[in-house]
Amino acid sequence: MSATLLPPPLPTLMLIPTGIGCELGGYAGDALPAARLLAAASGCLITHPNVMNGASLYWSDRRIHYVEGWSLSRFAAGELVLRPVPRQRIGLLLDAGIEEGLRHRHLQAADACRASLGLEIGPVVTTDQPLQVQLQQGPSGSSWGTLAHPGALWRAAESLVAAGATALAVVARFPDDIGSDALSAYRQGSGVDALAGAEAVISHLLSSRFGLPCAHAPALAPLPLEPDLDPRAAAEELGHTFLPCVLVGLSRAPSLVAPEAFRPGDLEGDQLGAVVVPAGALGGEAVLAAHARGVPLIVVTSNRSVLSVDAKSLGLGEEAPVLEVASYAEAAGVVLALREGISPAALQRPLRPLSRSAARWS
Amino acid sequence: MRLEPLDLWLELPATGPLLPQIQTCLRERLGEAPLALRWAITAAESGGGRRRLRIEAVVLHPDPR
Repeated sequence: MSATLLPPPLPTLMLIPTGIGCELGGYAGDALPAARLLAAASGCLITHPNVMNGASLYWSDRRIHYVEGWSLSRFAAGELVLRPVPRQRIGLLLDAGIEEGLRHRHLQAADACRASLGLEIGPVVTTDQPLQVQLQQGPSGSSWGTLAHPGALWRAAESLVAAGATALAVVARFPDDIGSDALSAYRQGSGVDALAGAEAVISHLLSSRFGLPCAHAPALAPLPLEPDLDPRAAAEELGHTFLPCVLVGLSRAPSLVAPEAFRPGDLEGDQLGAVVVPAGALGGEAVLAAHARGVPLIVVTSNRSVLSVDAKSLGLGEEAPVLEVASYAEAAGVVLALREGISPAALQRPLRPLSRSAARWS
Repeated sequence: MRLEPLDLWLELPATGPLLPQIQTCLRERLGEAPLALRWAITAAESGGGRRRLRIEAVVLHPDPR
């Protein structure tokens, strides 16, 4: 099809909450193929680092906008707009708790992205005390985490912003849990990513304070070879750091702008045409904000996780349609239908006569 | 400042937009200064005109430690 025949993009939000053990997207960038498909179907996909980050693997696509979760929720609620930019100047924030050898590995990963990809990275700042990341698991089984010294993170970020950084890449030393049952299960394709919850807290903390694009990579000791490695976790076994995907994602992440400063070309929450999200993970702020604003939810039933927070249990459906699909391939079809102005109901059978149709779109 | 995990149940009316109801409840429970930095509904039941929600969160307290 000629590009001139394509309808205008349908800005679509793709969410796969981190740290809840999603079968697709709960590992190392293993939702990237689905994101690429949704980007092609929508012409404009807004998604978050958990979807895009595959450690040493990444995919750069002008149609995909890389936005950290805190800012994504603000965008969905109409509290900020996204401004696509050609590049960001990425400040690199390193945890003082990272050992010297591992620190060098991260600096070399950043240098590789400068030399081989042409990214603008620097300055580099180290926190004035170790952050001391603490991993936790919530009652639901999802992963959470905190920092013993969040103030050290803020102070380091302040100096990066003062030095001209327009985006923040953070590397914190995470606890090694080599040999643990949780890590073994993750590498073999079951269970929850124990690191993910704390990673989200770190990036939320900085985004909420500084209003800049932000993403995080954990620093960890190398793992012994796992012969039974699940392909979805394999991207994290390729190199010494998880940093390249973060730097690539941030390099063209949209700037975050107050709604009053909107100008043509910016993306605002009102333009959202759909949200694609696992069917049992509807209890997040961005989903609820978009739904309250009348944006259709496309819920993927096959992407199971440790949560079962679905439309029925939340009592959703009045404000906007909730469209169930079995897979991301089907979700892409629905997004394309919406983009083309085709009613998804017309693609299903039976098609009830208007006189017998329920008021609710099904 | 410090970070604290939080686990709480909220009971809300079954009608009306959910997000403002949750935000109001969180403000009432936490006060004005602390910020629910990351939160999610991790269990939910609807029935009898009510919604019962479990919220797991990490809260940022601005007080120095």
